[in-house]
Amino acid sequence: MKNKQILFLSRGYIISIIIVLVTVVVSTVIRSPFLTLSLTISDIFILLALAWDFSSGTTNYINFGISFFFGIGVFATGYFYYSFHLPVLLLLLISTLLGVLAGLLFTIPTVRVRGVFFTLLSLLLPLMGTSFILAFWTVLGMPTIGYFNIVQISKSPEVALIYISIIVLLLLTLVYLVNSTHFGLVLKGIGDDENALVAQGVDSFPYKVVIFSVSMGIAGLAGAIYAMTTTFAGVDSFGLEFLLYPMVIAILGGKGKLLGTIPAGYLIILMSQYLQQYVGDLTLMLFAALAIFLFLFLPKGISGWYK
Amino acid sequence: MSVIELRNISKSWGGNKALKDISMEMESGIVGIVGPNGAGKTTLVNIIAGQNQPSSGKVFYKGKDITTLPSYKRARMGIIKTFQVVRPFKSLTVRENVELFSKIRGQTNSEDILKITGLESFQDRFPVELPFGLLKKLEIAKALSANPDLLLLDEPFGGLGKDDIEKLSKFILELREMGKHMIIVEHKISALLPLVDKIVLLDLGEIKFDGSVNEFRANERIGELYFGGVIDAGN
Repeated sequence: MKNKQILFLSRGYIISIIIVLVTVVVSTVIRSPFLTLSLTISDIFILLALAWDFSSGTTNYINFGISFFFGIGVFATGYFYYSFHLPVLLLLLISTLLGVLAGLLFTIPTVRVRGVFFTLLSLLLPLMGTSFILAFWTVLGMPTIGYFNIVQISKSPEVALIYISIIVLLLLTLVYLVNSTHFGLVLKGIGDDENALVAQGVDSFPYKVVIFSVSMGIAGLAGAIYAMTTTFAGVDSFGLEFLLYPMVIAILGGKGKLLGTIPAGYLIILMSQYLQQYVGDLTLMLFAALAIFLFLFLPKGISGWYK
Repeated sequence: MSVIELRNISKSWGGNKALKDISMEMESGIVGIVGPNGAGKTTLVNIIAGQNQPSSGKVFYKGKDITTLPSYKRARMGIIKTFQVVRPFKSLTVRENVELFSKIRGQTNSEDILKITGLESFQDRFPVELPFGLLKKLEIAKALSANPDLLLLDEPFGGLGKDDIEKLSKFILELREMGKHMIIVEHKISALLPLVDKIVLLDLGEIKFDGSVNEFRANERIGELYFGGVIDAGN
């Protein structure tokens, strides 16, 4: 017999798939360039939020460095497209693998410590990486502002959204399946009480290395998609919004409840995109106010509604 | 060969000596560790489990020096400790709490463990839904799922009522029949004595007594000093 939690996840999984499919249908029917772009950006942030929640939300190792891995995906796409004119699929693959590799380098020294020490390291190491890349950017012969006219996933924004939605659904399925496996149980065990887990013979270190590396690979993939959507890879891709928005989405979705990420992602990003049109720079302030309101009155996140 | 042997174990926390040159051996069966608060009981089992490192001395398990092994490696060798305060994995169901460890060991005995611990009918519930007595059983079920050879039970009767203590005592004796060795740290002497083959009394980090239950009961001085008179009269 399936237990309550699996049933809960199943419901969330189905709702999430339906929401993604609805966005594709709406974009295809309405054909509004702004709406399609907003939905595409939402999907990219959903990927980032999934990556963050998959590792940090489940294990309670709060990672402030995800924007670095996103930036690696953006830069790798720009560099490899400009230098070698690689096709889209190969660019996506390379960005993902570089994200995994950077994730490995980041994870191996950092997940040995816990709590605030890990969080601080997760902020400092990517900052070091970002500073390094930016300092050597021109030395390495890169364009001063960034790479323009990067290849698009598809010339048609609606078709690109379909491809990106497929990637979102595939990754959603991956996290759903992992959550249902023994590996997923261990991750939740790490989040609940890592000491108790270790005391009974589980070496948590390899689990953490794998989950953070995979998650950072997903962040790299999101970066590649972002570069192909905006057709630009610049220094702003290491920006704070690529940390802040995914975290807020993941927490609003329900920390560690990966399937709340989809509705939370569309809600937050579509709201921000439309607010930007009307209130400009006040968007961030309104976004912060709304986030505070939701955290106060919906502490379990959107996934709390599923139960 | 001894199941566990401690040689000259000392442990200091800052300037405070929690354990002073402790040496003891456990051949088989169940050993009880008693003593007043702050005697060093939990520190001693934590050192056996690898959750604390001794400041000096050696720990041997079945003749092998395990002093520097991390706790997860000791657990894999069969030394499993339950916690004084129950620590279930709150986001996992009762069944998942048990399966978490049994699957790692490649075991398929989760059903049996749920059955013998009486948790079978609660397997789909989350720990937060269980009464305290069942949480204590879940703590032991988790330990059993890791296929222990030596169980370190830290105050298993703490917080339990008379009925639950009787049930748990019966269960501990069943585990003993299954060939599990146990070290039990416990304050409730009356519940502990019927279960154990040997008693170790700790006080201020030193062993004050190490012998059989009968010797322990017959020792009037210990009775007077630590238990206000006769041992086993509802202590």
